Amino acid sequence: MAFSILIVDDSPAMRRVVRRVVDLSGFDIGKYLEAGDGCQALTVLHAEHVDLIVTDINMPVMDGEQLLLAIRSDRDLAGIPVLVVSTDQSAARVQYMMDHGANGYISKPFVPAALSEQMYKLLGGEPDAGF
Amino acid sequence: MQASDFTPLVVECCSEVLDSMYFTTVLDASSSVGHPSAPQADELAFSLRFRGEVHGTFGVLIGVSMARMLAANFLGEEEEALTEIEIAEVVGELANMLCGSIVSRVEGKSKFALSHPEPFMAAPTDLESLFSRFETDNGMIHTWIAIDADGLDAAADQTVEAVH
Repeated sequence: MAFSILIVDDSPAMRRVVRRVVDLSGFDIGKYLEAGDGCQALTVLHAEHVDLIVTDINMPVMDGEQLLLAIRSDRDLAGIPVLVVSTDQSAARVQYMMDHGANGYISKPFVPAALSEQMYKLLGGEPDAGF
Repeated sequence: MQASDFTPLVVECCSEVLDSMYFTTVLDASSSVGHPSAPQADELAFSLRFRGEVHGTFGVLIGVSMARMLAANFLGEEEEALTEIEIAEVVGELANMLCGSIVSRVEGKSKFALSHPEPFMAAPTDLESLFSRFETDNGMIHTWIAIDADGLDAAADQTVEAVH
């Protein structure tokens, strides 16, 4: 089964890095979708099927915290797993995001295996032994 | 809290970020207190605001050739294939990641906000900052961090509010 992943980050460079790590993780990815902020992400989510959302927190227009709350309060989107990838490593932020429905939290900087492991946890399967 | 209090954190975070995501090793680091200077023609500089229990500004200054090397490492691409825009985006992300790592360790029990990294063109003369100089296996990187005197810089706060 090919997965569809939405990467939400205001940094094009970071979106590219996340995509590369996912590429190397061994998942069968059918479609990569990208958004530069939470507002753009919601537009994509209402137009496309998405199996996993990987989102930053600090973004213009609508940040990752607002995006998470919007997703969890939308009956059509509430079931989609959300993995947060953020420079914010504060315990308060991690706790808040997990309490409000995030399914995983990775702090930047991260090693590729950390993202891969979280994705396998959320999408199923075993981590690629070579990664 | 003063800028100089950040010395060990800046060194620790810079080493960690450069090593894990830019495949670059810090060989030596030194810090001093002073005022930021504007970047030269062959340098790229990005800064961003942070706001939490502590308010301030963080910046990164780096030579263009070093920036190209870091961008290639970060993106997993050949240096020759990268555009100036892509290189600048990577330096902006480096500033964001460094600032987030540092502030996270200060603001462990409270949430904080970061503004979007922007090119740093002019030198503010009213900021006393902690300058750190990192010698790495790929060249030199300079960072600076300035703490608002009273933590209530209204103009800067508006900038952060604009993105949140």
